[in-house]
Amino acid sequence: MINFSFDGKNYTAQKGDTLAAALLRNGIGLVGRSFKYHRPRGIMTAGVEEPNALVTIGEGGRTEPNTRATDVFVYEGLVAKSQNRWPNLSFDIGAVFGLAAPVISAGFYYKTFFGSAKRWMFYEHFIRRAAGLGNAPTETDPDRFSQRAAFCDVLVVGAGPAGLSAALEAVEAGKRVILVEQDNILGSSLIRDPQELDGAWVEATAERIRAAGGRILTRTTASGYWEHDLVTLTQRIAEPGQIPLQGVAQRLWHIRAAKVILATGSIERPMAFAHNDRPGVMLSQAVRTYVHRFGVVPGKRVVIATNNDDAYKTAHALQAAGAEVVAILDARPAPAGADSGLPVHNNAVPLSTEGARHCLKSVTALVDGQAQSWHADLLAVSGGFTPVVHLHMQAGGTLDWNDAAQAFVPAISRQNVTTIGGAADPKPVFKMVPVSKPKKSFIDFQNDVTLSDVDLAWAEGYRSVEHLKRYTTLGMATDQGKLSNMAALGRLAEKQGVAIHEAGLTTFRPPYTPVTMGLLAGAGAKDAGAHVRRLALYDVHAAKNPIWQPLGYWFRPRAYPAGSETLAQAALREAKAVRSTVGMTDVSTLAKFEVSGPDAAAFLEIICATTVNKLAVGRGRYTFMLREDGFVFDDGTVWRLEENRYLLTSSTGGADRMATHISYVRQYLCPHLRVSAVNVQEHYAGIAVAGPKAKVALSALIGEEPPRHMSTVPAVIAGVPVIILAASYSGERAFEIYVEASHAGAVWAACETEVMEQDGALYGLEAMEFLRIEKGHLVVGGEVDGRMTPHDLALDKMLNKTGGYVGASGLSRPALSETGRRQLVGLEAIDGNNIPEGAMLVTHEGVSPQGHVSAAAFRIIEGGSIALGQLTDGFARHGEELIATSPTRGQKARVRVVAPHFYDTAGERYRD
Amino acid sequence: MMQITCPHCGPRAQAEFVYERTVDSVVALDASPEDAMRTLFTRDNPRGVDDEIWRHTYGCRAWMVVTRHRVTNEISAIRAVGPEVLP
Amino acid sequence: MTDVTITLLPASPLHALEIWSNPASVAKRFKAACGFALPATGCSDGNDKLRVIRYEPTVWLVEGDASALSGILWDDGALTAIGGGIVRIRLSGDGWRTLLMEGGVFDAESPSFAAGCSAATIIDHVNVRLHVVDDDICDAYVPLSYSEAIIHFWKTAALSLAL
Repeated sequence: MINFSFDGKNYTAQKGDTLAAALLRNGIGLVGRSFKYHRPRGIMTAGVEEPNALVTIGEGGRTEPNTRATDVFVYEGLVAKSQNRWPNLSFDIGAVFGLAAPVISAGFYYKTFFGSAKRWMFYEHFIRRAAGLGNAPTETDPDRFSQRAAFCDVLVVGAGPAGLSAALEAVEAGKRVILVEQDNILGSSLIRDPQELDGAWVEATAERIRAAGGRILTRTTASGYWEHDLVTLTQRIAEPGQIPLQGVAQRLWHIRAAKVILATGSIERPMAFAHNDRPGVMLSQAVRTYVHRFGVVPGKRVVIATNNDDAYKTAHALQAAGAEVVAILDARPAPAGADSGLPVHNNAVPLSTEGARHCLKSVTALVDGQAQSWHADLLAVSGGFTPVVHLHMQAGGTLDWNDAAQAFVPAISRQNVTTIGGAADPKPVFKMVPVSKPKKSFIDFQNDVTLSDVDLAWAEGYRSVEHLKRYTTLGMATDQGKLSNMAALGRLAEKQGVAIHEAGLTTFRPPYTPVTMGLLAGAGAKDAGAHVRRLALYDVHAAKNPIWQPLGYWFRPRAYPAGSETLAQAALREAKAVRSTVGMTDVSTLAKFEVSGPDAAAFLEIICATTVNKLAVGRGRYTFMLREDGFVFDDGTVWRLEENRYLLTSSTGGADRMATHISYVRQYLCPHLRVSAVNVQEHYAGIAVAGPKAKVALSALIGEEPPRHMSTVPAVIAGVPVIILAASYSGERAFEIYVEASHAGAVWAACETEVMEQDGALYGLEAMEFLRIEKGHLVVGGEVDGRMTPHDLALDKMLNKTGGYVGASGLSRPALSETGRRQLVGLEAIDGNNIPEGAMLVTHEGVSPQGHVSAAAFRIIEGGSIALGQLTDGFARHGEELIATSPTRGQKARVRVVAPHFYDTAGERYRD
Repeated sequence: MMQITCPHCGPRAQAEFVYERTVDSVVALDASPEDAMRTLFTRDNPRGVDDEIWRHTYGCRAWMVVTRHRVTNEISAIRAVGPEVLP
Repeated sequence: MTDVTITLLPASPLHALEIWSNPASVAKRFKAACGFALPATGCSDGNDKLRVIRYEPTVWLVEGDASALSGILWDDGALTAIGGGIVRIRLSGDGWRTLLMEGGVFDAESPSFAAGCSAATIIDHVNVRLHVVDDDICDAYVPLSYSEAIIHFWKTAALSLAL
């Protein structure tokens, strides 16, 4: 005995019960309210196709709304709640919509959305409260979701008799086999009809499959079939709302199979007649499942409506269980069913049901053209069988029409997939045409679509099945039309006057059954979706409690506040230290490439738009790179470490892109070059030491005269070999120290001691930004925004005159040398206001912008707002006054256009 | 997710690869400005088979030309590019 | 089949050996100097002092003392130190194959991925190079900046492999 609750009341279930079985066992027939009309609904099926019995399972962050009661197995303490009802399930105010049904007939949403916005505003509140399913949980899901890959020769989907046999045959032929079953036990149709092959056969077959190395996954749904025979499976490790044993609630499998066998069976079809949605109307095979599998008899007086032989098994099962079968309405003419010994009526189809207090009371049928009624508390319906072709269709397959079965069956596929068993060969049925009034004849139970909605869509001119679907929302509920699509197609074909297979089909899209979002996110469901890249010196920084700043996938210190300093105060203090004594910062994330070989210089002259081969050993230079269309996409420095060995640095943000570009040039454009270009971004940690005292600090660290500006030497700091590049981004005499990352801690500590000795400070990205703006250095992603040529950035004098670099042809396009292009300028505030970053540059209010502010800062020592920007024909406009305005932030400043250098324009501070 | 047969590593999941560009988008280093313009801005975009440049970025990092049908994802040929390789 | 221990291996010198011309001759010189052949794609070879793993079509990862190699390259190739940026993680126990399927896309469960094999793939968004040491041990080479994240991912996943 297992305890569970439904709408706050406690009940007990038997081991192995689905929630639906347990509710029926406890005599609960009313389980939910319908989506649009709030009609009372019960349990209609015993499988994943259930459209009506949707409940919310679990509590807190584990809440799963819209769970099918037929697809959750009861566990101790399960908490279930009905949905879409207020104030409670049996008395629901929303049910008045049922009376006012014409208000929200087919196309209501469609017309409302396409009507005036006011109309939507009026209806929105009303619709949101009334229409809907369960509520999404507001708390974080505490569980984890696993994603796992697997490979196999044969994937078998469905562990009924056909699937089990196919899996056994494949595994005994030595194949790697995976067999998946969405139920929690194997056997599928054999669970419902154990007389055909018994449970012992299922057990023995499964044992043989496992013994031969096959993998069997139960409670696992093949939910998507993708390219090149990749099938995704969703596995329930814990039931909805259940606390998982080891934290993992579900697993998403990516199965790459050499061959896929679909043994997915079929889904029984309802029939369309008035009030066919009443609790007590159930599919015939579902009734049999409740009787045989769960020992639950869902009715005492039963009418069965069928167009095939299968429903007779249900009649016998019910009789054996003690229920009375009062009538079998067989749509087929005599002598169908004649030898069954049951009260069979031929040429009989249901017309309507009557009920009271959410129970079925009687069934009215048309028998040989005459209406006839029976008292009954259960109507079991079998309108034929729809093969489950979803995966076959997702794989890009086609369908054939099987007239005997009145069903689509899999035809050909461009992938390695075959369908076997009932899905390939459905049982023959008698063709039926609905005769009941269309108004309350539901076809899509979950979205409350009736035959009359299809008729309305047709009358309003919606002819194709795709339009019909969107207009009526047919098949668009969480069950994706598993029960409804064939009925709608039949009606549409009738209207079109064509055969059903000529009416067209909608697209089958994954997933086959609903998938939890967290499962798709996997390990990324918590925190960030991507990993944060960690600096080699992370622990060193973290100990100083800096303000961190995301930069691409990295986190870097933005500033190191002392005491109660704000970011701005800390950054200004740090920048002042660099201008007046010395500062040090972590520059490890810069892109770095070691380029070796006899053709290294030639290779670099293809990557870089500047010359490289004139560099002497031990010297370096500024350089930049172009895209093929001639625009600057990155910049950095290049250093000749040895005769045939160079080090190239470029921006952090562009590092991955540059790695790809270098590899592209090497492998695709220039496979003949004798060169090796190795990405050493993470091999070297980098420490920049900058300021008037940097040289003194460096001398003390390396015990010799440091290299002059734009020179490089190997050295040793704290016993660790390093490379020293004398380069400056701050405008001061500065050095970048590169050290193998695993030894960076010792070198950082030595540098920090020496910097502090000189009254210096650590500085972060914010101070670095102040310093480089004042000096007028570019940043990729700021001034270098992918729309600027070397000319626009005043870099053109550095271009390699002989060409040959990537982008040289693109750059020679005439349009790139016309006037009217945006050009790099400096800006200084002249009204005491701060220049807003990102502001537009205008001549006066209300006119089109002529540029924008790409980066703003302050003069570090003197104070005063300065900025870099892009301005149309900016080179020729120095001295002009403009307004930098940011209407979104309500900020503006009057600015003067100046040269983009605010500090040491002669570059004297670099030199000794 | 497709499966792409790397000329060096064999069949691997598409997740290991990065689509880079089509073969006809490559601007030769010695292209005239007119050729560069054509290659950059007026290419075909066939609804069908095309030669695409992919890189096994999260595998062996090699570049290759994949002949793929853009509708069915059928891959009819894969060719390695790059320097001479020891078997 | 689901026990796995995740250990960080100590830093070791690692080099990228790239050959840009005359690969057959370099291979001959390599074998003469080192006593074993340059391994083919997807393979490794070596001894206690020097292990070489094919890394890219023209690049081998050299683990250990690479000093013997500088003399055999001539103008046909180069050695570049890369060890600072790579963390070596050892996955030991019979569950390593199952662990590698978590968040992965590569068939580490294939019996043909056996001792001496290597492969590069992506696991939970991190590019990882694998080298099968023996039936119970697989070494992973991961970028330093992602090593914390992937170790955390593996340690978490290892708790629920049996499910």
